[in-house]
Amino acid sequence: MAISRRADSLDLGVPLDREGAHRSLGGHLRRWLPIGIGILMAVAMIVLAAAAPLIAPLSPSAQYSDAVLKGPGAVERHLLGTDEFGRDILSRIIWGARVSLQVGLASVFWGFLVGVPLGILAGTRGGALETAIMRSADMLMAFPTLLLALIIVTALGGTLGNEIMAIGIALTPNFVRLARSLALTIREQDYIMAARALGGGQLRVMARHVFPNALYALVVVATLYIATAIRTEASLSFLGLGIPPPTPSWGNILSEGRQYIKCCPWITTFSGLAIMLAVLAFNLVGDALRDLLDPRLRGE
Amino acid sequence: MLQYILRRVVVAVPMLLGAMSIVFFTMRILPGDPCVAIMGDQATTEALADCTKNLGLHRPLAVQYVDYLWRSVQFDFGNSLRQGYPVSEYIARMFPHTLVLVLSSAVVAALIGIPIGIISALKRRSPLIDYPLRIIALLGLSMPVFWLGILLLIVFSLHLNIFPLIGGGDLDGVIHMLKNGEAFTSPRDFLAAVGDVLHHLALPALALGFTLAATVSRLSRSAMLEVISQDYIRTARAKGQVERAVIYKHAFRNMMVPLLTIIGLFVAVALTGTVLTETVFTRPGLGKMLVDSIGARDYPLAQGAITVFTMIIIVVNLAVDMLYAVVDPRITYR
Repeated sequence: MAISRRADSLDLGVPLDREGAHRSLGGHLRRWLPIGIGILMAVAMIVLAAAAPLIAPLSPSAQYSDAVLKGPGAVERHLLGTDEFGRDILSRIIWGARVSLQVGLASVFWGFLVGVPLGILAGTRGGALETAIMRSADMLMAFPTLLLALIIVTALGGTLGNEIMAIGIALTPNFVRLARSLALTIREQDYIMAARALGGGQLRVMARHVFPNALYALVVVATLYIATAIRTEASLSFLGLGIPPPTPSWGNILSEGRQYIKCCPWITTFSGLAIMLAVLAFNLVGDALRDLLDPRLRGE
Repeated sequence: MLQYILRRVVVAVPMLLGAMSIVFFTMRILPGDPCVAIMGDQATTEALADCTKNLGLHRPLAVQYVDYLWRSVQFDFGNSLRQGYPVSEYIARMFPHTLVLVLSSAVVAALIGIPIGIISALKRRSPLIDYPLRIIALLGLSMPVFWLGILLLIVFSLHLNIFPLIGGGDLDGVIHMLKNGEAFTSPRDFLAAVGDVLHHLALPALALGFTLAATVSRLSRSAMLEVISQDYIRTARAKGQVERAVIYKHAFRNMMVPLLTIIGLFVAVALTGTVLTETVFTRPGLGKMLVDSIGARDYPLAQGAITVFTMIIIVVNLAVDMLYAVVDPRITYR
């Protein structure tokens, strides 16, 4: 490919914080505030999902016949209102965090686990193997993430495992490309030559030298892909292809609420807000980490 | 240059082939027999066998595969299982709807994204301007288009009653009037029809455009940052050019070159966005057609829609790479 994508252009070998030593308090604040807020939001989300049974005020599937389509606070026990079956929206959103985060984290883990070794292999070995790996990745890249995930989920059916796999596969080529471009830079470094000269085998060089040096940049991008994965999961559920109801996911709560936007806009509003905040949290962290890593993007 | 273009084409062909193979084989592992989907559970074995034969599904997979590739190249995707008529006809009818949505959201994205990106880059040392703009961009990036769409519908369609809730307007009528010349003989009717289409288009284009604007603004920002650190900008300033001229005459034109490269990425993101946008706004188009066909288990239609989506993305990327080589002669194929 003639044109490198922006995510591929992370620059290694640049001192991380050149001016860090004489940075003003405001400068520190500006630099660390977004990442702090992002991490705080992400951690809160993970705690919420993990402790859903303890935190959720009511059961996500319990139906209250006296409170069908009630607005936020109309009935005291339903802080964010109820849906058409009299289920508590707040509890459903808290439980829905489980699906979103599980899919978000697990699918990125999948993409990382499959994509990074392939990319490093391609970048370090080169030759026909590189061509084969990169052409396969390009082929998958021809599909936008959502479209590819949509095809796979349609073929396999909408379960949690299938959704993770579908989004994982859709993200894999991104990791392959990034890992390859990082490996291409790293393999030219003197320490790689030194490791080879010391008799390090190819596998050892890849695992002990190339991978650790690429890890930083890979983790940054992985954080951004968690945001993509969460948004993709929500989109699939919204299109009715994700985890089927009654299991709550943010996308299917929003999709079910669509029919009631006239009378009861709270269903779609709060579930959409949850999706946005989750995506925002990981975008904030990933963005701030990337700015820290790549001084060129800061424009300073 | 010619060699570069040829090599890009040579790379694009197997990519297209591979992507189409993925579509074909995934569609083959879909659950459920297409014939059962057409004829219902009650169909007799003979009727099902007949149907299988008519659809050519009794042939070996390899034969079906080659047949699919050969027909797809000719834009023949078979007949829709539900509607009966050719998939290509259906696609041809839906394509203009999706095209106007993508184009209008591109305009919205450029109008919002490019100025935000430029201002954010130029004012990067004043946190009171740069930060709010970057937060807006981040919100746009994090906001799912279907949620923004619903919020717009709640406010502008349901409460203020300014824009229609569903539909895409009579785009077919507009195209028809353009074809038979009525657009020029009775311009008033034509303008009314165009107005109706735009009326239906406003909210979807705004929703999709805003979410795309985030990407555009970030890329504009980094493109501008890159350009203003170049020597020719310093030269322009040293010549005594006023800052406004430096930005508009020198920096702006040069930052558009890197922005060109994202058109390919942009089309891919926008096309995905149309799947969600058309569903939210119940607008006709390729994206909604794809979702509906999957729901109805109309496999030829789904297969045709996905194939066309992929073809568009690959061809646009190819075109952009070539355009880029023409605009920036420093690019050579690695």
